Amino acid sequence: MAELKYIGKPAQRVGGLEKVMGKTKYVGDYNLPGMLYARTLRSDLPHARIKRLDVSPALKVPGVLAAITSEDFHNHGQFGFPIKDMYMLAYEKVRYVGEGIATVAAETPAAAAAGMQAIICELEELPAIFDMDEALAPEAPQVGPLRADGKHPNFLGHYPVYKGNPEEMLKQCDVTIDQKYETVMQEHAYIETEGALGIATTEGGVVVYVSCQSPFIPRGHIASVLNLPEGRVRVIVPPVGGSFGGKDDLNYQAAGQVAALALKTKRPVRMTFSREESMIASYKRGAMRMNIRLGADKDGTLRACQFKSTYDSGAYSSQSPFTSWRASIHAMGAYRYDACTVDINTVYTNQGYAGAYRGFGNTEVCSGIEQAVDEMADALKMDPMDFRLKNCLKVGDVTPHSQTLTESVGLTDCLLAVRKMSDWDRKRKNYSNQPVNGDGKRRGIGVAALFHGTSLGAEGADEATGTIELHDDNLVTLTSGLTDYGTGSRTVYTLIAAEVLGIDPSRIRVHLPDTNTAKDSGPTVASRATMLGGNATKVAALNLLQNLDWAAADLLNCDLHQLQRVGESYVGPSEEPVSWETVVSHAREMGLVLSAHGKWTAPLIQWDEEHGTGIPYFAYHFGAQVAEVEVDMNTGLTDVIGLWAVHDIGKVIFPQGAYGQLYGGISHGFGYALYEDVDYMDGYLQSVNFDTYLIPTSADMPEIHGGFVEAEFSQGPFGAKNIAEPAMVPTAPAILNAIAHASGRRIRKLPANLERVMLGEALKKKASTVSCKVALNIT
Amino acid sequence: MLIEFTLNDQPVSVEAPADITLLALLRDYLKLTGTKEACEVGECGACSVMLDGELVNSCLIAAPAAIGRRVVTIEGIHDADGGPNDLQRNFLSHGAVQCGFCIPGMVIAGEALLTKNAQPSRQEIRVALAGNLCRCTGYMQIVDAIEATANERIKKSN
Repeated sequence: MAELKYIGKPAQRVGGLEKVMGKTKYVGDYNLPGMLYARTLRSDLPHARIKRLDVSPALKVPGVLAAITSEDFHNHGQFGFPIKDMYMLAYEKVRYVGEGIATVAAETPAAAAAGMQAIICELEELPAIFDMDEALAPEAPQVGPLRADGKHPNFLGHYPVYKGNPEEMLKQCDVTIDQKYETVMQEHAYIETEGALGIATTEGGVVVYVSCQSPFIPRGHIASVLNLPEGRVRVIVPPVGGSFGGKDDLNYQAAGQVAALALKTKRPVRMTFSREESMIASYKRGAMRMNIRLGADKDGTLRACQFKSTYDSGAYSSQSPFTSWRASIHAMGAYRYDACTVDINTVYTNQGYAGAYRGFGNTEVCSGIEQAVDEMADALKMDPMDFRLKNCLKVGDVTPHSQTLTESVGLTDCLLAVRKMSDWDRKRKNYSNQPVNGDGKRRGIGVAALFHGTSLGAEGADEATGTIELHDDNLVTLTSGLTDYGTGSRTVYTLIAAEVLGIDPSRIRVHLPDTNTAKDSGPTVASRATMLGGNATKVAALNLLQNLDWAAADLLNCDLHQLQRVGESYVGPSEEPVSWETVVSHAREMGLVLSAHGKWTAPLIQWDEEHGTGIPYFAYHFGAQVAEVEVDMNTGLTDVIGLWAVHDIGKVIFPQGAYGQLYGGISHGFGYALYEDVDYMDGYLQSVNFDTYLIPTSADMPEIHGGFVEAEFSQGPFGAKNIAEPAMVPTAPAILNAIAHASGRRIRKLPANLERVMLGEALKKKASTVSCKVALNIT
Repeated sequence: MLIEFTLNDQPVSVEAPADITLLALLRDYLKLTGTKEACEVGECGACSVMLDGELVNSCLIAAPAAIGRRVVTIEGIHDADGGPNDLQRNFLSHGAVQCGFCIPGMVIAGEALLTKNAQPSRQEIRVALAGNLCRCTGYMQIVDAIEATANERIKKSN
């Protein structure tokens, strides 16, 4: 391949300048003349029947212009993907504390709050389920929808992977382990809360600006619940202040609510959540309970894995069917097995609800399996790094899903690189033989590895379309239906288009996602923007390049294959070089079209849901992280003193962006390991703001040493794969394994807070419904 | 009540209720939306401004407390030509910006630190930023940007 000019080179983030100057307008920064403010009345019971709901008193409050309930939507506002079990506002029942019941629009936020409080809402409390292990009991109250197959309505799905019979094989293995692991819910903690702005159009439609990940999904929902043709609903995604999987369902409700209110009042209507409302109402990373059995031979060969788990989706399905499926595919870790079965059962409860969050099931299972693998290495008295190197997936291996890996498997290189970078061998040896110091502090070092399927996999149809246009002022614009919510995908598209066209990136602009101008490219999830949107941009740019090349060849009196580029200019065999602008204007004179769509469809994959076998993903990201910790044996305080991470992301396109994703992902995993815990007491959230729900600060985080292995994927754009989600996946188990090495204490339930590290269990705190109830009524 | 103070080196005079925060005064009455609202309990630092050179959470300051004082917001941080200053340029070149929502507060916190400590260590930078939450970056490149700016400013002043 010719040397790359822009890809993999330092670049400036698209939109970055406006961000550092404070000029970027997020949805909460929009102010339109006559704009109304919306506020939603939310349930203060975890499970209840709506006995009486009367919004008419709200309409008598000065400044209130409209109030809506589920009755104001077509088909009661039912929506959801893949399962339609949610409503734009609760219909007949509420299933979690914080569920929206009615929304008011008023001249001021204070009037909206007063209107909300004036609504008459009588709830009749129903028995609720707060423990996922009780969800499927015959007498358990019904939370989920009735099922056509007659199964328990609280049963959401079963997600298997089947290869051979590990039950039998475990009996033959020299060494076995059998352990339970548990993860808790995690808050996304995007710094920008949820928000949406609805504006009625003159043709009877609606424009909605909403801080979300995938504009085409809310467009579909809004059209459906307002009974409008899709062409009358335009969804625009302004700059998004962080998402991490978290700005889907709840913000789709906000979008639907402001759309309905805007149509009703003919005034712009904006809704912006307080932090408390955001934390109480929003979905989280779901909690998972796992039982993992592993078997190995004395020589350290892993042979069998049996993984059984329950995943708690809470009150609604949201993305849990997909999360659970991705969890099942990755549950056994990036290793070879002779026999491996995975069974994940997902259930409904009344503990808030779970949805998409970075890592999407893999973060949960990786914290289990990577601890189990470490415990197996301990049992075998093997170095955990050696044990992983011996058993990890390589090119040519067949995975437990029966997929043969043919290319782009860089895990061995990641493990070797992170081993060297972290000075693993010396530290592991030293810390294994350390005396207990007088100060009671002990150091340890731990590792965790991962694989992570690229893009949607067998979750759904996987394609994207990018649009490129060369304008009269020679500016090139790119349009994508995929959202850059801080990930850097717009910069990735810019660099790809610049590379293909041979022009400076400063000539290129990228539009914000807008359902009126972009093509539906599926959801911006699953770390798929670079692979899917990048490839689509590349195809579109190649289409434009072809027409420019025709014009250049015509100008230079030569054949296409004789064209060369010097800087942006075109050079032929004999004539003088011509500038890019000259070529562009000649192309116009020749009548050539200077815009193009580019569509890219992912390679075919297939998954047999019943037999748990197939090709789940067309490519995989690999990575390994090492954590070094110092544990205070007297207090249980863990200080992470160093983190090293080497990931195989394929070709690196935007280095600062890729490192940013790596470091940022690690910070999510750091919090997940040590203190983040969305604590519900009987359905009531205990931490409703950042004063009690702690996320890592700059002073908490250690220096991170990152690196990339570029095992290029032949079908990725310039060989690229993905980075966003998998960056956080192995961080928690690496830290937990380091804590076990330092202290001899294995923390099998997250997070490894002071109490668990010191005492082995978390102390029961006095819980209360007060902060949650008060926060829902703040005016 | 009439609230008069110096905002980004310009005198301002605004009629506003006495019981609102400085954050609300800036965003709702002066329409300066660069200062962000994200927790309103003084935990996240998205609303950071400088008040007489001190880094403060504007969500915790009553608007009348600004009377007669100097307030600097992100709109007041720039080069002489109105473009990004050296710290802001370093945020861009070091990849310190992702979603950008915390960034105005981070830039203010960085400037506040550098006015007090011209040559902070990385650990001192980390402690100085501990009141500003970022969920995107893991802070590495933000620390890099502030460290690089400090080094450049020291070099320039020598």
